[in-house]
Order: sequence, then structure tokens, then C-alpha cells
Amino acid sequence: MFGAERTRTLLGPVDPARNTAVAPPRISARDLIDRAGTTEYVVRHRHARPTRRLVLAAGALAVVAGTAGVIHRFDAATPNTSDIADPPGVEPGVVLVPVAYQLNSDASAARPHLRALAGKLIDAAYDNQSGRYTYHHTKVWGDPVMTSADGRYHVAFADETKVWQAADGTGNQITTQLEPQFPDQESRDYWQRELKGGPAVSTTPAPVSVPLPPLDRAPLPSDRAQLSELLKARYGAGAASKEVSTVYGRYIVPRQTRAEILRVLADVPGFLWRGQVTDRAGRMGVAVTFDDREHDAQSLLIFDPNTGELLAHERLTLSPVRISAYQVILDAGWTDRLG
Amino acid sequence: MGPPGERDEGWFTRLFAAEYAHIVKYGLRRLADADASAELAQDVFVIAWRRRREVPDRSLPWLYGVARRLLANEWRSRRAAPDVLPITDADLLRATSSPGADLTVGVADVQAALADLNDLDQEILRLIGWEELTVAEAAQVLGCTRATAAVRLHRARRRLTEAMSDQAAPPTRHPVLATPRRDL
Repeated sequence: MFGAERTRTLLGPVDPARNTAVAPPRISARDLIDRAGTTEYVVRHRHARPTRRLVLAAGALAVVAGTAGVIHRFDAATPNTSDIADPPGVEPGVVLVPVAYQLNSDASAARPHLRALAGKLIDAAYDNQSGRYTYHHTKVWGDPVMTSADGRYHVAFADETKVWQAADGTGNQITTQLEPQFPDQESRDYWQRELKGGPAVSTTPAPVSVPLPPLDRAPLPSDRAQLSELLKARYGAGAASKEVSTVYGRYIVPRQTRAEILRVLADVPGFLWRGQVTDRAGRMGVAVTFDDREHDAQSLLIFDPNTGELLAHERLTLSPVRISAYQVILDAGWTDRLG
Repeated sequence: MGPPGERDEGWFTRLFAAEYAHIVKYGLRRLADADASAELAQDVFVIAWRRRREVPDRSLPWLYGVARRLLANEWRSRRAAPDVLPITDADLLRATSSPGADLTVGVADVQAALADLNDLDQEILRLIGWEELTVAEAAQVLGCTRATAAVRLHRARRRLTEAMSDQAAPPTRHPVLATPRRDL
């Protein structure tokens, strides 16, 4: 097992609970069964008790909001990678070409285009659906990324996830890890040499099914001011791009809310209109980008030109131009069937 | 996950007796309050009873997963600052130290280095190092594949080693772009 024993040897002495004697529970199993029968889901119960002393230790919790971004192999409408994707003697593993390579250099402010798009949206397929569960089918690249010690070479893992989730957060998640992908040929060459004996990265394991325990899921607001807050618009276009991706990966966004999201983005300074592009799934969309000079990065959002749904989110480094993360939302909707 | 056996009060009583202390310790390692840890454990077991047909026979990773989600709710409700991400810097590693360096450093060094890691790196290290889960079990808690968990552990170990060898430098936190679970 990779590093587990060494990890325990190293961290054991600093375990804050290592020598702690846990006091016997103050209530019995029978009491908890009774509580389960008399209260709503615990997550709501907790929020109803403001005096509760629950203090998170610094850096205690790994909660990373949804990744931004998109995926896959390219068709004729997307950049041609055939000359670099499969060099002889190397195991398969796509070298990625940013969708941004499709963009023209001339771009105008996105505001009028986003507002115009917001005003002409039509129903998405799911707008007329109903069901107990939300369903999201996504592919995400960059979870995780492993980087060489000198910081030059990267290998990123992609996974495909299907999530069915009820209003109380319960449901099922099926994740399939895909083959590793590389931001450049040099990284691919490096990791193909280096990964022998390290963590398994060249295999495609079987899908993993995880039952989802309850989670307090706040409803998606429809009001523009609340959406602006949710999307962290006041923190700028980089933050808003990421949050839009998170929202579309978590909720089924109705038409009116999609329109409001576009209007929120229209009011965030910095977005440029890039017009028609093709996402990594081969779908036609319209794109906006934001150059985040502070972080030497660019965010790209691709929307369906008719329904306004988010199709993809991609984030690049700018020098050199290289993909940092992407996500494609392949399907979303409502269903009564738990997969 | 094996098929659940009979999930009656007797089963739940045994589960509670066997695993309560583990869940309290999980809370103690992540919370600054013993009472809150005990309450967290109670909440976890309330959910375990409600969803008893879903609890696998090897129940501890599942229970940790519930605890993690409950803490996520608390964390999210207190969250104010944006998690904007210098993604481009998130995974860059500086030069690593010698392979055996981690065995000779002091407790304070390890604590400081651990605190300097991003939250996801800390969590995979805690699950392996403190909760003593296998990589596959940690993957279940984090809602990812085993291979992904193995890579995260590998990466976190390297960062920890690097942080321990770099204690003199100003502390830095490495943002991470990752989704252990699509809704977390």
C-alpha cells in the first residue's frame, strides 16, 4: 500500500486524539433511535441550535467546492492533436489542447452578448421533467494533478461521474477514473518514464459506486441579488466562473435562473465574448473568457447558445498556455430512477 | 460493501458501542471542542439508524463519510471568503528532501508542516495516519476512486516532506482544485 505505513509512523505521534480517553456516550443507542424517529434530518436540527459549540480547528476540513471546467478527444471541429496524442511506444494518454486555441484574437466585452443571450433562452430538455432525483453526468480533469519535484511536468487524472441526488442530499454517485492526461508532450514523456512503481495511473479501474449520506442542500435561489452572492460575483470574474461551474454541477438550473445567471455574469467586469466554439464533447456553444492576470490564468465558460445551460468550464495557465482544469457537463436532469 | 445483515436495534446497539469512540476521535481531530465532537458522533449515529440498510458491514469508513459531510455543512455555513484559486500554483512542488527525513523530525515540525498543507492533503493524511484506514477505505470516505486516493496520498506525502524541510520559509497554503465529491 503506497505510503500508508510510513504515513502512520510519521503522523501517529502528532495525533491529537492518540491518548485521549473518550468518555462514555451520554445517551444510549435507544435514545438515538428515538431521536431519529422524532426529528427531521440532523443537518437541519443542527442549524436550529445556534448555541451549539462547534468550532472547526484551523484547516480542519477538506471541503473543496466543485471544480471548474470540461473533456475528451477531439473531433474535426476541435484542435487536431493526432500528431501528439499517440507517439509510438508510449501508452495512451491524451495531450490536451486548450479550447482557447479556437478563439480569435479580436474579442469584445461580453456584457451585451450575455444580456442578449439571456433574453432569448428556450427550454432545456429538463425544464419539462420532474423526478425525485437530480442527475448530473460530468467529466472532470485535474482531480488530482501530480507535479514533478521540479514543477515542470504534470499528470492529471480525469474522472467521469454520475450523481443522483434527492433533496435531502442522499442518493448515489458512480465515478469512473479515466486514463491520465497531460498538459504537454514533455509531461507525458516524463510521467510515462517515472510512474513505474508509483501509484497506479495507467489503468482504468472499475466504476466506484458510493451511496451518498444526507447533506444540507440549500435551494438554488432565483433572485438576481442572491444569485450574485452565490456566484461570488463581487470577487470578480475568476471566482464567478468557478462558482457558475459549481452551480451547474450541483443543481438543475431552470430557464429563468439560467437567464439571471447570464445577467449576473454580464455585470461582472472583465468577461470577453468569444463567440462560437466547440467544447470537448463536440458540442457547439458560445464562450466567454476572463484573463486573470494576477494568477496568470484564464477562465473560459461555454454556454449552450439556445438554452443557456453551461456546457463546459476550462481554466488555463497563460504562460505557457496550458490547461489547468476542465469540466464538461454531459447531461443533467430529473429522474425517479436511482442509478 | 457487503450485503447488510439484519439491521435491528441489537445491531445498532452493537454498532454504537463498537464505533462511537472512533467517531468522537474523528471529531476531536478536526474540531476544537470535545462536546461538539460528542454531538457530532450522536448525529452520525442518528443518520446511521435512519439509513441502516445502507450501512455496509465494514461500517467505519461509511460513518466517517457521514461525519465528514456533517462537518462540511457546518463549514459551509461559516464560509465567507471566496475560494478563488491560483490553480496554476496549486500543485507545484519545490525540491524535496531526502527520503528518510520524515523519520527524524520533531513533533512540532510535523504539526507545523501538516497545518501548512491544503485541506484535502490534510484529510487524506489524517484518514490514513490517524483513522488508520486503508487507501481504499479513505477513497470511500472521500468519494473518489482508490487510484485517486492513492495519488492524493502520494502527493500529500511529498508536500508534507517538503513542508517539513522548509520550516524556515514563511508558511504558505496551497489552494487546490479538486472535487473529492461533486457536492463537497
